[in-house]
Amino acid sequence: MDKRRQPSASSRRNFLKGAGLVGAAAAVVPQVTANAAPVAPQPQLKAAVPGPLQTAAETLAPSSDPVNQTSSGGDFMADVLNSLGIEYMAINCASSYRGLHEAVLNHANNKPEIITCVHEDIAVHMAQGYAKIEGKPMAMACHGVVGLQHATMAMYNAWCDRVPVLVFGGNIMEADKRMPGTEWVHSGVDIGQIVREFTKWDDQPVSLTHFAESTVRAYKIATTPPMGPVFIALDAELQENPIPDPEALRIPKFAPVIPPQGDSAAIAEAAKMLVEAQNPIIICDRVARTPAGMANLVALAEALQCGVIDNGGRMNFPSRHPLNQSFRRALIGQADVILAMEMNDLWGALTHFSDRIVRRSSSGIKSGAKLITLGTRDLYLKSNYQDFGRWQDIDLDIAGDAEASLPALTEAVKRLTDDGHKAAFDARGKKLAATHLAMVERSKTDATIGWDSSPITTARMCAEVYAQIKDEDWSMVGTTIKLSWPQRLWDFNKPHQWNGVSGGSGIGYNLPASLGAALTNKKHGRFTLSFGGDGDFMFNPGALWTAAHHQIPILYIVQNNRAYHQEYMYLVAMAARHGRDVSKMDIGTTLKDPNIDYATVARGMGAHGEGPITDPKDLAPALSRAIAAVKSGQPAVVDVVTDPR
Amino acid sequence: MNAIKRIARIACAAAVAGIATWTVAQAQDAPPGNAGIGKRLFVANGCFTCHGRSGQGGAYNGPAPILAKTALPFDGFKAQIRNPVNDMPAFPAALLSDKDIADIYAFVQSLPGPRSAKDIAILNY
Repeated sequence: MDKRRQPSASSRRNFLKGAGLVGAAAAVVPQVTANAAPVAPQPQLKAAVPGPLQTAAETLAPSSDPVNQTSSGGDFMADVLNSLGIEYMAINCASSYRGLHEAVLNHANNKPEIITCVHEDIAVHMAQGYAKIEGKPMAMACHGVVGLQHATMAMYNAWCDRVPVLVFGGNIMEADKRMPGTEWVHSGVDIGQIVREFTKWDDQPVSLTHFAESTVRAYKIATTPPMGPVFIALDAELQENPIPDPEALRIPKFAPVIPPQGDSAAIAEAAKMLVEAQNPIIICDRVARTPAGMANLVALAEALQCGVIDNGGRMNFPSRHPLNQSFRRALIGQADVILAMEMNDLWGALTHFSDRIVRRSSSGIKSGAKLITLGTRDLYLKSNYQDFGRWQDIDLDIAGDAEASLPALTEAVKRLTDDGHKAAFDARGKKLAATHLAMVERSKTDATIGWDSSPITTARMCAEVYAQIKDEDWSMVGTTIKLSWPQRLWDFNKPHQWNGVSGGSGIGYNLPASLGAALTNKKHGRFTLSFGGDGDFMFNPGALWTAAHHQIPILYIVQNNRAYHQEYMYLVAMAARHGRDVSKMDIGTTLKDPNIDYATVARGMGAHGEGPITDPKDLAPALSRAIAAVKSGQPAVVDVVTDPR
Repeated sequence: MNAIKRIARIACAAAVAGIATWTVAQAQDAPPGNAGIGKRLFVANGCFTCHGRSGQGGAYNGPAPILAKTALPFDGFKAQIRNPVNDMPAFPAALLSDKDIADIYAFVQSLPGPRSAKDIAILNY
């Protein structure tokens, strides 16, 4: 679909169409003269008199302008992308990058592989989900003005989630090269301006050499912790025109930045504080950026035999590890030394906050406790959007990539651990293991409440899913707001089994990001599943068409509580605060009357659809059918009508 | 996310202290209530939005405690509704009378509560 509108006046096709209409009209008009006897009008086909443009086209010598070319800047651009090992480029097609699009298909034999998306928000979110599983970015391309505006929400999510995504946006920089009409409203002087507050870097190259250097630089910046999305404007002339001097072009050499380790003296100091502590605790959010991250964190926790609270921004720590204390956050208030790593919201994690008429906060750390931080997040911040959170006092603030620093920290801890420490650590670890085990058993018992209820409890939903996928090489890549049952009930022990959350809490993330993760999981032969809210689903249902079109297998379970439920609860709280009618709070917050049939939506997109499932007894058979469809290579949606949370 | 800790503390306290006999004794101390009316009020006033229709618990800004067969005595239950200690909205008498609260308390006490996970095959792994 070429969204570049043809000029209405000068198009040869439109001109001829108009001429045809004029001729037909002339044929049926009666011919009458003053001295002629009236005769019956005779229909007669008659060619229209050629206008000046047609006359010129058919009589003048051909233009000396070239009509064919043997090279294009787009070819070189595709070569640059392939030099970086970019596997996929998710796109919503647009004329402002048609030169690159054609070059990828023909010159580069569809490498990076084009992933067709029906909205730019889907394309960027796919790239976000992909990067967290695969550990490297994929590309996304769009119209630089109207497409980029669609892409902004997803880019903000990627920014807040510190995920690398390469976004390219077409533009026509030279004013005299723009066609009349649409190309003017699709061009800008500084198209990266609207995403600059939530990208790490952007540029608008004006030559192919400039493009090559900026794209390699953008890739390097995006993948250097703290990671983030980058943006490159693609000038249309640069893409489409012949390469003036091919011999002068070269693709710059890319060498990834080795993530920085924390200062060795600071690491030694941290180790000393942790070893000497009576009740240390580790809290983490986005520690694991490669499969090695989880193992590195396990090694440190086991060396100290201390509890780990995983905020779940990445697959940091096994859910069933005896030291996993993620559901015992009260341990933070008991700790004398806290090691917080790659935290997204450090202050929030350590603070009690009341969402009441008077909003108050108090520290959740006990008096005298020491706080150590290790991470890269604060090494690159911007000022407008407040995702950096509130200031938190810190005792030892170590700048360094946590995953890269963990081996040195663990070794330092081991060096300082004598027999006396070891005995104390073992005793501490046994207590924590016992409480962890009790927590798991408690979770199973809690899950039984309302087991046979309709709407189906979220606990039953998650238990039924796990029963059918636990023996697969599964990868759960998305979730709904505050759905904790998988982490409470399931055994997450592989790096690809969890993929974090949106980052910016921008709705519309979950379905396409899950699909991006599924895209790379397909290559690795993994079984991908995701839970998603009904509200999130409706932002980007078109992602299912992409899943069907590209045959990306994924089991997508819609937790259908027929509401934007968090907002529903907030409105109930607002009404109660005023002592006013609670019963109207479903207005504007619920998705009912009519209920949305997600299985039918899925089938309409070419995916397998099951549901709506309202009786818990029907859930297992529906899941079984959906899983069979996924194993045959299809995306499948199961619509589960659930209790709210 | 920040409020998780306070609410979780309450949730844990309620869960860990869930001693059946104590619960029965406290339920007996409650004023008489109509569980059927309480169920209607539980839904109409949005209690289910956080605590679940089966009283299974859920989440608001943080975890919302299990209410099925709650171990909270009636006075504590009522106090939590009138003047909550966390982010739960307060429900004044204009919205829920003492009688309404008694009915809701009767409803949550009438809920089945947890079963043994061992009786459910798919929870045994």
